[in-house]
Amino acid sequence: MIRVVTCASLLLFSTALGWSIISAREPRIPEARITYRPIQIQEGGYVSSDTCKACHPAQYEAWHDSFHRTMTQLPTTDTVRADFDGVRVTDVPGNPIDLELRQNEFWAEFGDPDWKSSEAGERPRIRRQIVMVTGSHYQQVYWYRTDRTRVVGQLPATYLITERRWIPRDSALLHPPVEKPGSETGRWNAICVNCHATDGKRRFDAPADVETAGASSMTADTQVGEFGIACEACHGPGAEHARQNRNPMRRYWQYLTGKADRSAIVQPAQLNPVLSSQVCGQCHGVWEFFDQEAERRANSIGLAYRPGDELRQTRVVVQPTKNQDSPTVRAILDAYPGYLNDSFWSDGMIRVSGREYNGLIDSPCFRNATDEKHTLTCFSCHTMHKTPDDPRPIAEWADTHQVAAGMAGNGACLQCHAAIGTNVPAHTKHQPASTGSSCYNCHMPYTTYGLLRALRSHQISSPTVAASIETGRPNACNSCHLDKTLAWTSDYLERWYATPKVRLSADEQTVAASLLWLLKGDAGQRAVAAWSMGWAPAQRVSGTGWMGVPLAMLLNDPYDAVRLIAHRSLRSLPGFDGFQSDFLAPSSERIGDTVRALDYWRRTLRPGDRRTDPALLLDAAGSPRMDAIIRLGLQRNDRPVVLRE
Amino acid sequence: MADRDYARRHLRFGWWSLLFFTMLGLVLESLHGFKVPAYLDASNETRRLMWTLAHAHGTLLSLVHVIFGLCVRVAPEMNARNRPLISWSLIGASLLLPGGFFLGGVVFYGGDPGVAVLLVPVGAVSMMIAVFLLARMAASAGQERASPSEGTRPRQDRSRGTSRR
Repeated sequence: MIRVVTCASLLLFSTALGWSIISAREPRIPEARITYRPIQIQEGGYVSSDTCKACHPAQYEAWHDSFHRTMTQLPTTDTVRADFDGVRVTDVPGNPIDLELRQNEFWAEFGDPDWKSSEAGERPRIRRQIVMVTGSHYQQVYWYRTDRTRVVGQLPATYLITERRWIPRDSALLHPPVEKPGSETGRWNAICVNCHATDGKRRFDAPADVETAGASSMTADTQVGEFGIACEACHGPGAEHARQNRNPMRRYWQYLTGKADRSAIVQPAQLNPVLSSQVCGQCHGVWEFFDQEAERRANSIGLAYRPGDELRQTRVVVQPTKNQDSPTVRAILDAYPGYLNDSFWSDGMIRVSGREYNGLIDSPCFRNATDEKHTLTCFSCHTMHKTPDDPRPIAEWADTHQVAAGMAGNGACLQCHAAIGTNVPAHTKHQPASTGSSCYNCHMPYTTYGLLRALRSHQISSPTVAASIETGRPNACNSCHLDKTLAWTSDYLERWYATPKVRLSADEQTVAASLLWLLKGDAGQRAVAAWSMGWAPAQRVSGTGWMGVPLAMLLNDPYDAVRLIAHRSLRSLPGFDGFQSDFLAPSSERIGDTVRALDYWRRTLRPGDRRTDPALLLDAAGSPRMDAIIRLGLQRNDRPVVLRE
Repeated sequence: MADRDYARRHLRFGWWSLLFFTMLGLVLESLHGFKVPAYLDASNETRRLMWTLAHAHGTLLSLVHVIFGLCVRVAPEMNARNRPLISWSLIGASLLLPGGFFLGGVVFYGGDPGVAVLLVPVGAVSMMIAVFLLARMAASAGQERASPSEGTRPRQDRSRGTSRR
């Protein structure tokens, strides 16, 4: 009897314990039952990275730690980088934004971005749950549920991860100042889904008069195979591959014979250079649908392109030098004349980040290559899975743009240009170990813009002054030698490489090129020039004692992004680490920031750093020549610039 | 081999084996403690799983040996008929199961263990043979004990007779 009672008690206790453990876990709602945000449903042969992990843990690990995976995530305490726990954000539109972390749910209360000033009353405040997160490297953007089908709205503030600061969403992009920030409701469903998820299907509908009908007229049944750029975005749908390799005998046969069967999966690095680059180019390129019918089809069933396909059969890859007059590009230009200027320099070179494929296909190393082995592709320098011989931690590999082991330096170019490697200074005319002897610095200078910084151009080119004059694009020499004029560069290029000289204006002969871009250039040039002044190699080469003046001027730039970049570069100057200014301050206060920065510069300038070069617009005493600065500033190119990064 | 020898063999094997596999456990814990990438990196998940399985199976099988040794001593009639087969099957399982797992984790192919893992199913079959024979003998021994005619037979005689067979 005692035994029976003991057994029954043990059974009862075990059951109770098991039940309490199960009930303590949060109930997981099946994706298909979620109605208020885009959902992850695997169909059409997609199986998700979970399936790939079982056989490819090393590749999974590298991908998992990359920023591709985190392009879109669900909000959790691990994925959300901003502090939501009772935080009030005050200096952004929709202010104040009250953030709340409630039992692992992220909530925000803010002014409704979809409210129109034509409506009666004041902008109502709404309280919404954050349901998706985009980005995890430099910035993070948050999407909230609108409870109108699967349409999601964007929180009107962007979180800068490095600075741990909220800024207005519009300030995170380079475009003319806006008085009233617009709504971004539906943007993820209609645009971001293409490249911030795997196998995205928009299934988004907005009436032609959505501007007047309002965001409430939008509907969406957006579905993706997986959030983020996952395995199948590059390898194609994996169901058949997984099915074929479910048999262990088959797998071990492949291991032991070394004959991997890749018939049912795409290995991008083993495709020919054209097709392999297109795998990356599907997202890292400027492209458009052929026509509205193609767009409608994609809206319903997803993008037609699959890795291994010929990309150009599924879309128009925009190349101003090649297809500016194609019907598709013409139609876009008719509707939006600034379309090309927003993404390309005037000679057709890409000027925005995230579109490196456009740079690659216009590079001589790709375009003029005669054999596959010596053709530049994305995989010539980058690897999507850190290799076992790479001693760097995965985080470092991911943080340095997934550049492959040994490819961070000249090794990348010397794969083909081996002869130069035997005597680098003979080619570069710079000391072997100097930044001037880096292939990247001369042939891939920082002339593209995105994410509030300059990034390397991926169109391999050689520096010329002519291109700078013609397009306004900073050349590699003056991006490092910021204190030198275009005439100086022209002289050296002629002497060293027999590059023909071009006719230069008086200012181009006498004023440092960086100052011309910074004072006279358009917003894109100003942003890139301001960033260069914070670039350590340029600071070492050009000295920093004079940079406080031009950067102080940019603290009153009309573009938020330019002011932020100038502020960052200013803070990187010696003695300026304690300098405070608010790039979001009203224009009436910003001139005060400029004056304070100039005063700060005078007080903190070390005697040894003092410069008196006329090219730097400094007089013999080292004081700024304000007349010249103002004269050039009045010539500023105020063309509205929108960089579509 | 006499009952006493079997008991001694399995008790000795069991305890030494337990010592070995608890030491392996200590080594695995050290690999955790020192965050050794070759064991802890996500790309080495297969190795971690295999070696953990080797440790777990080896430890549990060590205890099985100890229990078997005690059974031989306490209830020699239970498994007398097939004792040599049971004994070798248990020893085989103790070598093949954890050995297969361990070697399968030394060299592996992504998410698949190395070919040495093929020792595991052989070891598992060996283990099942031993367990099946033990279970069958345990059941019959219970019946024998319940039988009145058998129940009066002196226990020592019966075991001696069985061991001779």
